[in-house]
Amino acid sequence: MATQVFKIPDSFKKDAKYTFCPGCDHGVAVRLVGECLSELGLTENTIAACAIGCSVTIYDFLNIDALEAPHGRAMAEATGIKRACPDKFVFTYQGDGDFASIGWAESMHAALRGEKISAICINNTTYGMTGGQLGPTTLVGQVTTTSPTGRNLEYYGYPIKIAEHIAMCDGTAYSARVSLDTVANIKKAKQAIKKAFEVQIKGLGLGFVEILSTCPTNWKMTPQKAHERVQNEMIKVFKPGVYKDITVEN
Amino acid sequence: MTATITDKKVLMKGNYAIANAAVLAGCQCYFGYPITPQSEIGEFMSGKMQELGRAYVSAESELAAINMTIGACSTGVKAMTSSSSCAVSLMQEGLSYATSDQLPVVLVSVMRGGPGLGNIYPSQGDYFQATRGGGNGDYKLIVLAPSTVQECADLTYKAFYLAQKYRNPTVLLADGLLGQMMEPVEFKPYPYPEIDNSQWKLSGAKGREARIIRSYAPLADNQCVYLEKLFEKYKLIEEQETQWEEIGTEDADIVLVSFGSTARNVKTATKICRQKGLKVGILRPITLFPFPTKRLKELAQSVKMFVSVEVNMGQMVQDVRLAVNGKAPVELIHKGVGVPPAPEEIVKQIEELM
Amino acid sequence: MEKDFIIAGFGGQGVLLAGEVLANGFMIDNKNVTWYPSYGAEMRGGTVNCTVVMSDEDVSAVQKSSADFIIVLNQASFDKYVSWVKKGGSIIVNSSLAIIKKTREDINYIFVPITKLAQEKLGNIKMSNILALGTLSRVSKLISLSTLEKALHNVIPPHRANLIPKNIEALKLGYEYDLLKV
Repeated sequence: MATQVFKIPDSFKKDAKYTFCPGCDHGVAVRLVGECLSELGLTENTIAACAIGCSVTIYDFLNIDALEAPHGRAMAEATGIKRACPDKFVFTYQGDGDFASIGWAESMHAALRGEKISAICINNTTYGMTGGQLGPTTLVGQVTTTSPTGRNLEYYGYPIKIAEHIAMCDGTAYSARVSLDTVANIKKAKQAIKKAFEVQIKGLGLGFVEILSTCPTNWKMTPQKAHERVQNEMIKVFKPGVYKDITVEN
Repeated sequence: MTATITDKKVLMKGNYAIANAAVLAGCQCYFGYPITPQSEIGEFMSGKMQELGRAYVSAESELAAINMTIGACSTGVKAMTSSSSCAVSLMQEGLSYATSDQLPVVLVSVMRGGPGLGNIYPSQGDYFQATRGGGNGDYKLIVLAPSTVQECADLTYKAFYLAQKYRNPTVLLADGLLGQMMEPVEFKPYPYPEIDNSQWKLSGAKGREARIIRSYAPLADNQCVYLEKLFEKYKLIEEQETQWEEIGTEDADIVLVSFGSTARNVKTATKICRQKGLKVGILRPITLFPFPTKRLKELAQSVKMFVSVEVNMGQMVQDVRLAVNGKAPVELIHKGVGVPPAPEEIVKQIEELM
Repeated sequence: MEKDFIIAGFGGQGVLLAGEVLANGFMIDNKNVTWYPSYGAEMRGGTVNCTVVMSDEDVSAVQKSSADFIIVLNQASFDKYVSWVKKGGSIIVNSSLAIIKKTREDINYIFVPITKLAQEKLGNIKMSNILALGTLSRVSKLISLSTLEKALHNVIPPHRANLIPKNIEALKLGYEYDLLKV
């Protein structure tokens, strides 16, 4: 007897074409978001606020209503959507530049207000769509097109630790950092996304997941080398873990 | 400060009249950040919206406020923000997106002095900001300019209606004088029909294709088609929604063109001129976009001189000149910032121009 | 007919509220009316004024550089506004806080120890503004005490309704003050 071991979640468009670069973790992250929407039965009740950057194409893959926000404004637009329609499931899917640089004020204040929304932030230590410039999460020493000799502190200052900051906000219900470099970590990432969705459904506050991701094209690495970089460099600075979870008693 | 629908006149500041009318128009969400001289709008809304179980967010910036408004509007509810001059500057990006997204955003812009921080006194220095826009790309905002506190209320209703009807951001362009002054005002029920938005609003893709509201157009050809469509809409708005008031223009040698609070003084100046035997009339644009270009063009056949009267360095005068198109001289009487020039002062300057 | 009124004093003397009561009164009498405040960056202190314009026709200019009736509640306002009174117009001066001095022949001066009366007869100097309106009613003959009483009900919020009787008393006191005393 045949057993079904793979199926496309109902949240996915059937005719979507894969547009991410080979080895980019966006594909995995979008897949996890889609699986969580399907498994929680949210697909038909969701409105997403999409960001500017590679992350914007999430609406090409998922069969959900979406509003494309200006760069950095996804959390503000998600706030507007949720306040207008408290019964809808609302999430953002943003890059680190969008979430933690140009949109940092919107992100922090949505967390401080305890907006009942979920936010997924892809941290790949660079501005991907514009061609690999230095971003808020670029690691010290990392060479980018705007840090040609590497990020040095005197010129560029420090990278931001997003999940830790969001966890500090009183309105945050859940904040975690995950990576997609191993199958085990992908499973953990899915659990985190699900949790970030569930705290919204329960009306507890903001649910947030920072996902450490690859950008092989701009890192100028093979997919395999790129994942090794996540393991060897990124995880050392951006430590995976759950930084806040108000559903767990201390 | 509370008011509801009433057939009794109440004495009220323009800012409160706007806020109360917005509530009566069915505004479900207000997002804003304080700035003089319009803070009363947010203050009123903070209490009233909570009382009615509607949404109010004290936004972290005007940038956030306009984008929250966009978010709420994308779901089909009536939503608004309000601000003033230097802070409306921060909203220009959002307004450009909202026109491209075709969302019925309502912005109340209560003008103060500029450029930069300027001052908190009345001004009409944001005529260009509203009618030309500071955002990128080809777009138009519908702009309504009240002249009395009663009109602040009536045109707030209209702003919500036109925004919904044309799916286009609409600005109620008041100024510090109208915002801060009190006048008797009556609140009738919202007089416009509700517009069906079931075909475009975001509500979750249940039993239908998923909807995306976006302005990203990667293919240049598609963007050309889109822009043509957008501008067909603007043409329709010009044909159907241009609104102005005209007094004494039938036999006028001189037509004064003035909008908003300044038009109050210009009306009186017109009367004084008539008492002096001067054939002077006034045309007051109520919609700044669409501008009464066609009517000015008609008047230019017989009128000997047009004079634009504004509290700025001369902005609307450009639109008057475009409309008159060289058929008659177009002069400017203006004051940089502050309360409008007194009627007698306007008359004096008209006499000097003759 | 158009009549212009200016009320001026220190911030905190209830100048804007007095103007609002007056403007409400004219509205109740079915006149066209506007109220316009001076407003600055300061929230408190300094001088403050408001202009009320009453007219049978539409009101155009809402801020004036002259007025038919001016109430000044302190010396600084008296100094500033005495030259603003139209020829034949009247200025009501709070002689508790301003020196009695006439510098013009073409206007009427009404000196009333407004603060002192409010303190001694009503036990509350905060009633000065409304007391002054009582005097204005008498002097201007353009608005009745009963209209001003109604206006008080419009302006004073329901949760402060207990203050209305005292304010009515203030109106009467201002109205009945013997203007010939000075």
